[in-house]
Amino acid sequence: MTSFPLQQAVTESESIVELANIHLKLTSAAGEVNILRGVDLRVARGERVAVIGPSGSGKSTMMMIVAGLERPTDGRVRVAGADLAGFDEDGLALFRRAHIGIVFQSFHLIAAMTALENVAVPLEFAGVDAPFERARAGLAAVGLDHRLDHYPAQLSGGEQQRVALARAFAMEPPLLLADEPTGNLDTTTGAAIIDLMFDLAERRRSTLVLITHDAELARRCDRIVRMHDGRILEAAAPAAAAGGRR
Amino acid sequence: MTTLPLAIRLARRELRGGLKGFGVFLACLTLGVAAIASVGTLVAGVNEALKNDGQRLLGGDVELSFTHRPATAEQKRFIDDSGRVSTVIEMRAMARTDDRRTLIELKAVDGEYPLLGAVRLAGNPDLTAVFARRDGLPGAAAERTTLNRLGIGVGDRLSIGDATFVVRAVIENEPDRSANVLTLGPRVMIALGGLPATGLVQPGSLVRYQYRIMLADGIDPAGWIDGLKTRFPDAGWRIRSPSEAAPGVQRWIERIGLYLTLVGLTALLVGGVGVANAVASYLDGKTATIATLKCLGAPGHLVVQVYLVQIMVMAALGIGAGLALGALAPIVFGKLVASQLPVAAQVGFYPLPMAIAGAFGLLTALTFSLWPLARAREVPPAALFRSLVAPSRRWPRGAFVAGTAAAAGSLAALTVVTAADRPLAVSFVIGTLAAFALFRGAAWIIARLARSASHVRMPAMRLALANMHRPGSPTPGIVLSLGIGLTVLVMIALIQGNLARQIREQLPEIAPSFFFIDLQPDQTAAFDALMRDLPGVGEVKRVPALRGRIARIAGVPVEQANIAPDAQWAIGSDRGLTYASELPAGARIVAGQWWPADYSGPPLVSFDGHIAKGMGLGLGDTITINVLGREIEARIANLRAIDWTTLGINFTLIFAPGTLEGAPHTFIATAEVAPEHEDAVERAVTERFANVSSIRVKTALAAVETMLSGIAAAARVTAAVTLVAGTLVLAGAIIATQRRRIYDAVVLKVLGARRRAILGALVVEFALLGAAAVAVAAAIGSIAAYLLMTRYMHIDFVFLPLTVAGTALATVAVVVAVGLAGTWRALGHKPAPLLRNA
Repeated sequence: MTSFPLQQAVTESESIVELANIHLKLTSAAGEVNILRGVDLRVARGERVAVIGPSGSGKSTMMMIVAGLERPTDGRVRVAGADLAGFDEDGLALFRRAHIGIVFQSFHLIAAMTALENVAVPLEFAGVDAPFERARAGLAAVGLDHRLDHYPAQLSGGEQQRVALARAFAMEPPLLLADEPTGNLDTTTGAAIIDLMFDLAERRRSTLVLITHDAELARRCDRIVRMHDGRILEAAAPAAAAGGRR
Repeated sequence: MTTLPLAIRLARRELRGGLKGFGVFLACLTLGVAAIASVGTLVAGVNEALKNDGQRLLGGDVELSFTHRPATAEQKRFIDDSGRVSTVIEMRAMARTDDRRTLIELKAVDGEYPLLGAVRLAGNPDLTAVFARRDGLPGAAAERTTLNRLGIGVGDRLSIGDATFVVRAVIENEPDRSANVLTLGPRVMIALGGLPATGLVQPGSLVRYQYRIMLADGIDPAGWIDGLKTRFPDAGWRIRSPSEAAPGVQRWIERIGLYLTLVGLTALLVGGVGVANAVASYLDGKTATIATLKCLGAPGHLVVQVYLVQIMVMAALGIGAGLALGALAPIVFGKLVASQLPVAAQVGFYPLPMAIAGAFGLLTALTFSLWPLARAREVPPAALFRSLVAPSRRWPRGAFVAGTAAAAGSLAALTVVTAADRPLAVSFVIGTLAAFALFRGAAWIIARLARSASHVRMPAMRLALANMHRPGSPTPGIVLSLGIGLTVLVMIALIQGNLARQIREQLPEIAPSFFFIDLQPDQTAAFDALMRDLPGVGEVKRVPALRGRIARIAGVPVEQANIAPDAQWAIGSDRGLTYASELPAGARIVAGQWWPADYSGPPLVSFDGHIAKGMGLGLGDTITINVLGREIEARIANLRAIDWTTLGINFTLIFAPGTLEGAPHTFIATAEVAPEHEDAVERAVTERFANVSSIRVKTALAAVETMLSGIAAAARVTAAVTLVAGTLVLAGAIIATQRRRIYDAVVLKVLGARRRAILGALVVEFALLGAAAVAVAAAIGSIAAYLLMTRYMHIDFVFLPLTVAGTALATVAVVVAVGLAGTWRALGHKPAPLLRNA
């Protein structure tokens, strides 16, 4: 089993995310495409960061690199004090299991599993005791203790995203990544989900990095990172970012 | 920490959704395993019947048999002292009434017959009463066919040789007779005491003397046989124990079983392509789930375990269903094929063929699943952030390549180890690998051709061609699976067509009309004169004939000699012998020289080159023949290439003058007779020479054709299973591309295409795909049939375009029909919902 310096990472670093001069080039049929062109970013523990920018600006790719789902062509990625370059694929999976929760726009629940089972999966992977008890508590925390045995197809969009939130927080990760978590929800439901997510992050002291097109939502964060054409244009507090944009 | 329990838990959750996506997977495995299991069970059932009934079929603990002559007095005394003995004499003869005659298999039995079991008779249940002399005439029992051919019934008279018998019963079953694979005449049974009066037993007549012995209590058969061999080392008899009661039948059923098993295995391998497609398609549909699992921290090996468990559960279901069908098939279809089997198969559960069929299924599932499973291992978790992820085309990790190779290797090893004819099984494995490589190459060429022709003006054609070569196109799988199924079918159709053509058209032209056997030396002049005088008689050939057993090969007893499988038949029973001073017309010497016409010296022999090769013999080597109990050692003077397919008089062994003339022997003659004179010629010869039997070649050919048609029907059914497997793969491939086809159809509709145009594109695509697969399969199937017939069966091959065209057209029609049936739904889709969700 690949090992990683979990305790060391937690105690040594104040920044939970450190991206240094990240470049990503992908080769397609049309030729080489520069997706990221020298991204530098630090996210402090407990910080809430919104990433905004037009489609194709590199937001999701940057998030994938933070999650260890994509390897940069160049640059250094440290998350929770660990250099992700040192892990192989399976090592990265184990690292994510312990440190990172992810919430997707399309929920990505496993259709063949009930809400309870979906939430229990990361706990089962980690081999923790009583995974279903903890999953049940997690679902109760998002107000779905009456929907434990429902399959994703039997839940509304908002309920599915609540399950996804419960799953992302199941291992109480220090870092939560959210990719347009309200993109597939109506405004009211979306707002409720965001409230819930912020609340959970607060209670579990998780750092939150979220991609959004919603300026209102971005303003609720501590900092807004604006991206364009594979670069970070600015990273500032909401008021400054809003002023800069004007 | 082992992750297997967790993998099983996750797999179970995924499988709760049902078998969706595994339909073709299950059908392919079930079909292939059922084919192999049912053939295996049937063969085991026949073997079990032969084993259990060996003693009854043999008629005792041991059978000793001679050709031409009975046991000597000393030998008979020894036999009689060992237990109960029954003497049976068998020969071919003519049965006659006033106006009809027919060739029969005559059996004369003593009062002890049968030592085991009972003869089942209709009309008179007591054999002794049947044979008893009444009103001055002895009785006989006959098969219904005999009576039908002669147009008589129970109570009527028939003549055999110089004697007349009254038919007193109809034989329904003989305990010691397994239905022969090929019989020329029906049975007539008389008492041993009645045989001399027929006058048929004459010096050199082709008569088989059989002594069946039930050994006295306490005598071990094996020890007794050893003692017999020591006491009479040069007796020249054939000794059989119950395990060899029907060696010909056993060899025949094992060989047919092997052929059918190999065809069944082909169906399973073709289905394997469907298994691979189904697994790939299932896992493609699971990309998001796999990526999610990885995002949640599942390592790659856990993902592989989760899906391998699911695949193995499905494989177990498919194999289980196949085994159940295979076990039931002989019970359900046993009656239908009973007439084609030499003995009634013993119905039962046979674990070994079941285990073998199950192992074939499991190894096929593994061989074809591991490769697509390797792709699941490589699904990037980043797939969740991208709407479309191109499937990984990377070479799988080493472990998967090694696993696939190990499973395929085990499959090949199992094929060879379980085959009765291992060289044939090795050829099958090599041929299968070659076929897979050939069809893979052909699919690549077809895709390249489609790409190079894709700039045609007609949109329907352009779309059809694009579908054949675009990335992820089902062309390779369809060409491979349909192609292999079709190759087998074309090959079998061509071989059967060629054999039928030989039997129906070629042989009647070149073969003589009649064989006359058992002509006595003093009858030859009169026979020649009669044939000269009879109208409609063409060429008549007549040669001396007697029988002998090959006893030693280059001085080594045959039991200890190393003989190739395809030459084994030459030592299994007596061989026909003749002698000649001149090289017979049509004979072709391939080594050595024919002897001078006035040769007088040590025994020389001309030998069949093919058998000589199988026995490792060459010019100058010796071969020892036991003729009438006397061993004759002869030196091989020359080797001949014998074309057995002419049905003329051919002998494996021809002696030089000076060796056999003194031995009692008869003559065998062939005659070409105009069809309208055949009846008259047969009547004239058999009336004049009551001891002579006539064999009509037409009747013999009809018997051969009946036998072959039974085998061909079995082969066709199994080949059809292969094609059904191919069609399943086709259906699976079409289902797998359904989403894309619906999308294409919707986009085309948005762009203004009418349903007819979209339908046209689909028809063109499937017709082109079917035609391409058929063209390649027809070529490979024809070449395979040509090679099998000319190299293995040594028969001329003629390409039969109609046979191939019929098979090809039917297949293209099936491809188009299955293709359209699978994509019909695509045409009916309304654009709006799909575009909203796209």
